[in-house]
Amino acid sequence: MPEIKVTPLGAGQDVGRSCILVSIGGKNIMLDCGMHMGYNDDRRFPDFSYITQSGRLTEFLDCVIISHFHLDHCGALPFMSEMVGYDGPIYMTHPTKAICPILLEDFRKITVDKKGETNFFTSQMIKDCMKKVVPLNLHQTVQVDDELEIKAYYAGHVLGAAMVQIKVGSESVVYTGDYNMTPDRHLGAAWMDKCRPDVLISESTYATTIRDSKRCRERDFLKKVHESIERGGKVLIPVFALGRAQELCILLETFWERMNLKAPIYFSTGLTEKANHYYKLFITWTNQKIRKTFVQRNMFEFKHIKAFDRSYADNPGPMVVFATPGMLHAGQSLQIFKKWAGNEKNMVIMPGYCVQGTIGHKILNGQRKLEMEGRSTLEVKLQVEYMSFSAHADAKGIMQLIRMAEPRSVLLVHGEAVKMEFLKGKIEQEFSIDCHMPANGETATVLTNPSVPVDISLKLLKREMALGGPLPDPKKPRTMHGTLIMKDNSLKLVSSEQALKELGLNEHQLRFTCRVQLQDQKPEPETLSRVYTHLRSVLKGSSVQLLPDGTVMVESILIKVSSSPEDPDTKTLLLSWSYQDEDLGSFLSSLLKKGLPAALC
Amino acid sequence: MYNTKMLTPEDMAERGEDFNDVLDDWFIESLKTYKDLHVYQLEHPTQVIEWTSGKTVCVAGYSSSKNEILELQLPLKLFADENKGLCAERDFKVVHGGFTDGPVRCLRHVPGTRCVVTNDGLTSDLQVWTVGGDDSDVIRRTGSVAGRKRRRTDSEGGSRIAARCSTQVLHGAQSDDIQLTHLTSGQILYTPEITSSDPLSSLQFVSDDVFLAGCCNGNIYLTDTRTSASPQLSPAPASPGESVLWWTDAAAGVSSGSVVRLSSSGRAVISDLRNLGAAVSQAQLSVQSRRCNPDDVTVSWAPALPGCIAVSGFSGVVQIYNTSVWGVELQEVQPLFGHRGHAVSSLPEEGDVFITSHAWHPERPRTLLSAASDGSVHVWDWVDQSASDR
Repeated sequence: MPEIKVTPLGAGQDVGRSCILVSIGGKNIMLDCGMHMGYNDDRRFPDFSYITQSGRLTEFLDCVIISHFHLDHCGALPFMSEMVGYDGPIYMTHPTKAICPILLEDFRKITVDKKGETNFFTSQMIKDCMKKVVPLNLHQTVQVDDELEIKAYYAGHVLGAAMVQIKVGSESVVYTGDYNMTPDRHLGAAWMDKCRPDVLISESTYATTIRDSKRCRERDFLKKVHESIERGGKVLIPVFALGRAQELCILLETFWERMNLKAPIYFSTGLTEKANHYYKLFITWTNQKIRKTFVQRNMFEFKHIKAFDRSYADNPGPMVVFATPGMLHAGQSLQIFKKWAGNEKNMVIMPGYCVQGTIGHKILNGQRKLEMEGRSTLEVKLQVEYMSFSAHADAKGIMQLIRMAEPRSVLLVHGEAVKMEFLKGKIEQEFSIDCHMPANGETATVLTNPSVPVDISLKLLKREMALGGPLPDPKKPRTMHGTLIMKDNSLKLVSSEQALKELGLNEHQLRFTCRVQLQDQKPEPETLSRVYTHLRSVLKGSSVQLLPDGTVMVESILIKVSSSPEDPDTKTLLLSWSYQDEDLGSFLSSLLKKGLPAALC
Repeated sequence: MYNTKMLTPEDMAERGEDFNDVLDDWFIESLKTYKDLHVYQLEHPTQVIEWTSGKTVCVAGYSSSKNEILELQLPLKLFADENKGLCAERDFKVVHGGFTDGPVRCLRHVPGTRCVVTNDGLTSDLQVWTVGGDDSDVIRRTGSVAGRKRRRTDSEGGSRIAARCSTQVLHGAQSDDIQLTHLTSGQILYTPEITSSDPLSSLQFVSDDVFLAGCCNGNIYLTDTRTSASPQLSPAPASPGESVLWWTDAAAGVSSGSVVRLSSSGRAVISDLRNLGAAVSQAQLSVQSRRCNPDDVTVSWAPALPGCIAVSGFSGVVQIYNTSVWGVELQEVQPLFGHRGHAVSSLPEEGDVFITSHAWHPERPRTLLSAASDGSVHVWDWVDQSASDR
């Protein structure tokens, strides 16, 4: 039975590092190559020893696919391709290709410069890695090789995130990466056609949550900003990617207008440059409502939001500033933070995850005294707020996606089996499909029953139809005779004669002959007629004929009677048949050897 | 670099259109009126909200065939008092789940155990479930408790259930079929001497041995399981000409000793447990009276707010009233607070949304959960605007 094998790499039950190996139709594919952000040693990398104990991975993998730019999905990519060694294609969407190297470089800088690590990938390695990237467009089938094809679908979640369908012959797998099923303001909802893959691979991390509404998250954000402004405080919002910052800007602008607020809102210059970059990405990447919302409107025409100048940070009174970079590890956002940290009326709102080693990470862990360059300490008196705006599917979302794609089975990774039994039961009950949950390092095998399409020649089809009987039915297979020709990548079913002709072979006929001696005094024609009558009575189902030339014909078997002049009482029956009637022929010869019944009048 | 062109009102309108639907009046108001607010959408609506621990609740569906029972853990952010800002966790976690064969109309947690008991409203039998521990996330059916045989085959509402200790469960659909049953053996430990068969709207322990049975017609039976004497009957407050349903709740927390009776016409009567016949105070609540089923309305005392009750089921709003300012004469009163979130957030195609259940947090004074007929579940911590503690 053909099978698809799926192995989530990594040790233990830890979530936080996505890297999944799939074997399908003889091809090996790596899905995502993430870094585990919680570890400082080798445990943060996926365990590639599963693929090979030592040496490069190129010959073991047909391709690598990266779903989106988050570090827990692409953070170990340069390590894998440049330090372990992989020279094959790496597939990702255009926005992912544009944003990945920026995040990887930031991450590298923080880890090496701030944390002083040495066994880490270099800037050059990131560049070399990205040279291996082949960008993907949505809904476009890409031939990785003769047999393996992949297609990207819109996943929502972040800019450029994709769900990927991997197909070899009639077997296919869909990997969801991270996705969300409720449309966001600047990202639509994930969408997939009824592609009916053999396996749908999904993260189980959020499958057991029920998400709080977007409205409440926005409420909390506005409430916190408003409270700070009301008490005269300053609010710093470090941001990275455009989409989220843009959305928060429009939210604040609408709120300011509604509440008739006067405090200034600023947008730092670094953000404007990045924004233009992503603006272009949005245009090429998606043609959904997002473009209408964000692209057709001029990005920076705000009534209440103005460009920031570094001198404004010292202005008295309340204000809100959006500044990069997002994790407070360098640049303008860090400069502003240093100025404002000492005042408890102020606030910093962190809208996303911060990597270890950054100031952002430290303050989110409750640190109130920070060591800065030159051994100076910074007292953190301002209010620190961690708000997560990221869009993830939840328990309901996963059911919706299954309903959309109609997979033959579901495979959940990165979950503890004991915590997933209910969801497994729910999926099995509602959809009557299997749900697998391999642990990290464990391989799940999914048996497939691929149908192999074969062309049949019209002549052969007509011949089979002419034989009568019930029409072919997938539930009731019928035996038929033909010859299967496999040429190039096509399979053809033709009649034997046609096959011989196509192959340029001569047809050979195979006939058996047999002599049976009988004691019979009657003249030959009478013997013949007795043979005829006998066989007719015995072989009721078959066609028995008496031919004018003195031959009895049973199907294709010919029977003649002869005798020698020296011994007229001994008759010899000559039987001859072709190999197709071998069974019948043998039967007849045995039968006739027993002699003919007593003479009939 | 940056364009300071002035925006036209049309630009602003187009820009804001997606956000103005968020910034409606209720939303803006909520910035001041709630400390915390969380809004969730279940796949199927629930009629029950039952605490199984200080941080977890059970909910369950009530469609006619298969339903889910879920044990949900409340968002960590709600409980992270000192470091609230550092906690971004706003979601419910489905910690345990199971499947039922019928609707769940009543669900009660058995204290000191990991068991819950349910009734489907179709018969008076109870289903017993074990909510898994750390080793499994499945809620499994582990037993049943037979209800008393009744002459009639159909009933208005199903069984009410109450549980005080870990081995017994009190249940009944009518005043003459109440029994205290041993959970595992099924042995009937006590049945009160009540001959009239009034459908029940509540069953509640007021101490280890004393319970209160509230009937739909407004009668209350106060029963002591240590005696064989007949329960004390306290008839419904006089309501001439009206045919109404009544719901009852006896306070257990700071207002312990008080009992509230609420009618489907919106009349609320407060009594003392020691003298149920006399009304301490009463009020006409500002609710839309509607045709109700016994399952629709919930009235409950706040465990930690003296004199406060919450009322739901008349509409898509949960109302909080302060009974300590009520008088003896029947007067119209206004709620201290109204949670309009469900009514405001419901989609037009859902039609009128009704609150199906609410529950106070056992310790946090102003934290409640509420569920509505459209499947929404809200967790909210409201601000008492009348108090000048700001």
